[in-house]
Amino acid sequence: MVGKVAVIGAGVMGAGIAAQVANAGVEVHLLDIVPEGAKDRDALAKRAVARLLKTDPAPFMTKRAARRVVPGNIEDHLERLRDCDWVVEVVVERADVKRALYARLLPHLKPDAVLSSNTSTLPLAVLKKGMDEDLRRRFLITHFFNPPRYMRLVEIVADDETDPRARDAVAAFCDRALGKTPIPSNDTPGFIANRVGVYWMQAAIGHALRLGLDVEEADAVMGRPFGFPKTGVFGLIDLVGLDLVPYVDASLARALPESDPYHAERAPFPLLLKLVEEGYTGRKGKGGFYRLNREGGDRLKETVDLALGTYRPARKAVLASVDAAKAGGAAALLKAGDRGGAYARAVIARTLAYAIGLAGEVSDDVADIDAAMRLGYNWKKGPFALADSLGLANLKAMLGTEGVAVPAFLDRAIEAGGFYREEDGRLRRLALDGGYVPVERPDGVLLLEDVKRRSDPLAKNASSAVWDLGDGVLCFEIRSKMGTIDAEVLGLMGALPGLVAETGARGVVVYDDGGAFSAGANLGLALFAANVGAWDQIEALVEGGQRAYSALRYAPFPVVAAPSGLALGGGCEILLAADAVQAHAETYAGLVEVGVGVVPGWGGCARLLARYAADPMRPKGPVAPVAAAFEQIGMAKVARSAFEAMEMGLLAPGDGITFNRDRLLADAKAKALTLAGGYAPPEPATLRLPGPTGRAALGLALADLDKKGQLTAHDRAVTTELAGVLTGGDGADWTAPVSEDDVMALERAAFMRLVRTEGTLERIGHMLETGKPLRN
Amino acid sequence: MATYKAPLDEIGFVLFDVLGYETAVRPLPGFGEAGADLVRPALEEAGRLCEEVLLPLNRGGDEEGCRFENGVVRTPDGFKAAYDAFAAGGWSGLALDPAHRGQGLPRTLHFAVMEMICSANLAFGIYPGLSHGAADALHLHGTEDQKALYLPRLASGEWTGTMCLTEPQCGTDLGLIRTKAVPDGEGAYSVTGTKIFISCGEHDLADNILHLVLAKLPDAPAGTRGISLFLVPKVLVGDDGSLSERNGVRCGGIENKMGIHASATCTMHFDEAKGFLVGGAHGGMKAMFTMMNAARLAVAIQGLGVAETACQTAVAYAKERRQGRALSGAKEPEAAADPIIVHPDVRRMLLTMRSQVDAARVLACWTGMELDAATRHPDPERRKRADDFVALMTPILKAHLTDLGTECANTAMQVLGGHGYVREWGVEQLVRDARIAQIYEGTNGIQALDLVGRKLPQGTGRLLRRFFHPLDAFIKEHEADPCLAPMTGALKKAAERLRGATLTIARKGLSDPEEAGAAASDYLRLFALTAMAWAHAKTVVAVLPRAGEPFGQRKIALATFYMTKVLPETGALFARIMAGKGPVMGLEAEAF
Repeated sequence: MVGKVAVIGAGVMGAGIAAQVANAGVEVHLLDIVPEGAKDRDALAKRAVARLLKTDPAPFMTKRAARRVVPGNIEDHLERLRDCDWVVEVVVERADVKRALYARLLPHLKPDAVLSSNTSTLPLAVLKKGMDEDLRRRFLITHFFNPPRYMRLVEIVADDETDPRARDAVAAFCDRALGKTPIPSNDTPGFIANRVGVYWMQAAIGHALRLGLDVEEADAVMGRPFGFPKTGVFGLIDLVGLDLVPYVDASLARALPESDPYHAERAPFPLLLKLVEEGYTGRKGKGGFYRLNREGGDRLKETVDLALGTYRPARKAVLASVDAAKAGGAAALLKAGDRGGAYARAVIARTLAYAIGLAGEVSDDVADIDAAMRLGYNWKKGPFALADSLGLANLKAMLGTEGVAVPAFLDRAIEAGGFYREEDGRLRRLALDGGYVPVERPDGVLLLEDVKRRSDPLAKNASSAVWDLGDGVLCFEIRSKMGTIDAEVLGLMGALPGLVAETGARGVVVYDDGGAFSAGANLGLALFAANVGAWDQIEALVEGGQRAYSALRYAPFPVVAAPSGLALGGGCEILLAADAVQAHAETYAGLVEVGVGVVPGWGGCARLLARYAADPMRPKGPVAPVAAAFEQIGMAKVARSAFEAMEMGLLAPGDGITFNRDRLLADAKAKALTLAGGYAPPEPATLRLPGPTGRAALGLALADLDKKGQLTAHDRAVTTELAGVLTGGDGADWTAPVSEDDVMALERAAFMRLVRTEGTLERIGHMLETGKPLRN
Repeated sequence: MATYKAPLDEIGFVLFDVLGYETAVRPLPGFGEAGADLVRPALEEAGRLCEEVLLPLNRGGDEEGCRFENGVVRTPDGFKAAYDAFAAGGWSGLALDPAHRGQGLPRTLHFAVMEMICSANLAFGIYPGLSHGAADALHLHGTEDQKALYLPRLASGEWTGTMCLTEPQCGTDLGLIRTKAVPDGEGAYSVTGTKIFISCGEHDLADNILHLVLAKLPDAPAGTRGISLFLVPKVLVGDDGSLSERNGVRCGGIENKMGIHASATCTMHFDEAKGFLVGGAHGGMKAMFTMMNAARLAVAIQGLGVAETACQTAVAYAKERRQGRALSGAKEPEAAADPIIVHPDVRRMLLTMRSQVDAARVLACWTGMELDAATRHPDPERRKRADDFVALMTPILKAHLTDLGTECANTAMQVLGGHGYVREWGVEQLVRDARIAQIYEGTNGIQALDLVGRKLPQGTGRLLRRFFHPLDAFIKEHEADPCLAPMTGALKKAAERLRGATLTIARKGLSDPEEAGAAASDYLRLFALTAMAWAHAKTVVAVLPRAGEPFGQRKIALATFYMTKVLPETGALFARIMAGKGPVMGLEAEAF
């Protein structure tokens, strides 16, 4: 059990790890050296915390978490380590410095405390040189990825001396408390992810230069089509920092034997060194391969010309191969005859061959190697899954034409029929000996993809499906792109009570494996209908949503919403309608409808009002909930984490938060089962709302904003309608309570008035085209 | 010879009474002087030119045709003199930028003038029509130097322009273009390739011809994204605009074709011809669409022009020709027979023509006015809305008005009977001349695909908003008026059919583009018929104060005919659309 943590080294990674520990609700000491001549001996750690609070995307899930980080220094505060169960070292990448530090720490460590290093380049064996016997068994490497809050990979490197309990305790803490996926790696240079990833990046740079692609072309090829980050490699280097590239390259090259194919992909890249010298270190600096030129007042996007080394206006890549990929995927891109196709073949053949050849060296487990690339480099598929999807025979043929040696393990996989195989509804991976072994999931991990492997849906349509999770719990899955909600989703949602009754189930979880829980209503369908003036269809969608959400809320079984990623608009209204929420910590929720010129129309207004009125922690009186809801919805506030959602009242006090994405479904299922015992549906809320006088008061507040020039013309129209809904309409006053249904009728009417305006339709269109709200 | 009097009163009524030209176009920047006091005389002047100069040349032009001799094309007798008179009158640069010696008048006026030219002599109108399109493309995509050098000569009519798109292997699918352009190292390009079906590619009307040529640069990506546009003059031009040496462009021959004999349809060979890039590298499609959209509207007006002449000729004949007696008893017992206009079926034909031609003119002028707003209106939002409307209506007008041209020419032939089939009355020439308009600048099938495949989904239906919202508002505003009830009732019914069909096509087309493709032509016609119903309803609103006068009665009668005898076709179209792709796609190709 890890109850308290210390992080030594307050650089970007150390501070980021400390922030994530704090996010998990665990107190963490952040110690660094005392700068020479410093007045404040804790300056480095304090500065690091201040920087964390300003960083975007935010390392802290809520500002309150920052209070759990206790800054200090290693001269005065080593005694604070005494009650720490885990100490992470994140200092400069020099073995001598690290080893000296370990010796200094040792006397202050609890007897069973675990010490780990976050090194990315130094082998475990080197760090342990001369290490005290006692410490050797509780020392390991925990390699996090930047930024630690958002990257889900932590590589764990241990050896035969390591006490399995020490290793497991830290791994379990990383898994459950920090939400990371611990992947065991052998003590080999670069471990798993950087070994494959740095090779990929070097190959991607080198062949782009060799084949004469420009930056945009290379990034268009080596990005989205293969499920790599859509930045492509040059864009990715801008993100991680150009200055890191030579450093990472050199340290990996130093550590690898001469026989390693990595050396063949290294090519001098003087342009990169020149850019770094001129301060173009990437997004953290003045720019990198891409920059925004602000000269002359404009913000002109520019790109480095790889041949000339100078900036020129950015342009869209125009390549037949990239066009081909849009229809035919990666396979079509690899077949293309232009330089984009040649580039793709050169890089993909080498990278996949290299990765396949590493099986048995960095790890025996291809699923682990794949997971490392997914979670550490944001690849959609790891190299083995990618190879399977391209066809192993095709890959082998491509290696032939590219003159790349065929790894023996690839031949074994071709013989066996793939690196993965599904059998009896279970995913199996190819072991080094050529046999298949099941891919194991840890206890408490339930993936919908596994449920799908072993069973058929109870019901499904184009946009949603219902699955049986076992133990009497059903899963309602929204499968549309970005989880958008359309008539199909609402239709199946409406059918849930019947399905529950039919199967004798006891509860429902709303969940999906995708990156977004739900970005809200399908605006495209609504906009098209509005553009042709099919108002009855839109009204039917609003009404249908209200009916389906209310049916969930008042059904005779518990409904647990389990969001991860976006839960916006209609997606957020599901959270408000559910009996309980089990949220992934990385949930971004908000009622953002005003951004597209409407008010929440699926009960969001009514339920947020009811929630604020019922919350004992919030200010009392009839005005407070209305004012709070008006601010929350009117400003389209979005919570940047589940904790913020809790602070905003979008999650209720009894709702749960899960850090590990893979544990979310199991946690939600458990919550549904807990609620199922003696379940009684909630009573519909009665609301006391101020009516016209309250609306007038909100109107004054708006007029104030207006005077300050903070409202656009259409903001005025939308917020005025919102004020009308939240104050209960013309007939309401303090003494006459109104029902949820009354407020929902107001929502509907306001929605229908707004959706007929040009301003709202322009907002919706703009959102669909650009993904950003229009201020009109 | 066909009968044609320029319909000046009718055009004036449409512009000023139905569409509110004075409040919609005149307030636009630069048009302050282009009010009714200027527009009416200008139309009269154009009408006179059409009736007195162009119309008399039409028959001879058809019979003589263009001749190809030793690489040179000779236009028919009288064309050169007519062209010179046309240019001298300032008509070549009517709507072009005054900064480059254009007249700077509204497109709306240009549309009206084009209609009269096409009524009088369709083949003639193609020469200045293409110059106008080329000038538009240069104006929007050319460099300042290119504009200064070339635009004034296009505006004056001294030089003419062409659009060189089609190649032997490449018609509708421009991605297949083979013509190559290689940088010559001096900032220009060397263009090599063969283009076919090039209207006015070579002729003797002007001193120079500016070819706008689609070609591919050496590093061009495949498909339409790799096309660039080049300006290739027939005669190279010095910096001062003086003509120097002949460029490597020559005409390899002209087509023998069904109609528009006086318009030279050329095969053009470019042999390392010097060309100048217009717009960016690989930016040719964008520039091409500028020309294409203008050209499609121009072709729509060709259809309207021919339809008007056909209609006038048929009416003149039906009033003159005496055969049989009215079914209700003799109308003119003193004569040997009644004029055939007494017969219900002849009237049906005449009214079917007239009611559609009048509504088509309203739509064309309306679109012209929106085109003016799209380029000139000071409010960018209004400009965008106008642009959306024009983009939506362009394929509809192109296809429907050219269908109407052929339909009316054929109906007129039916009215004239054997006299329509022989040359004398000029109707068979109209049939032959009108036919090409359904084919060139994108066949009408392609227009229908443009409508369902591009215009419907654009901005998630944003273009449709510019039609449906004002239409619904119009119906709402007028449906309570008992005088208008028959109009608004019929219009509303058609509008609901169109709305339902639109939603169905959008929904089905999303998952299966063949569904949209199978419905496309029927849908376009449904759209056009509904839009024309709206045009009639607007006309009736405008004419209500004059309901007691013959003019008002005539308009109401035409609208009533349209609503009850033409518009019901929307019911059949709706049923066809709803039948889906099954009946179209079910049969295997081998079984045909």
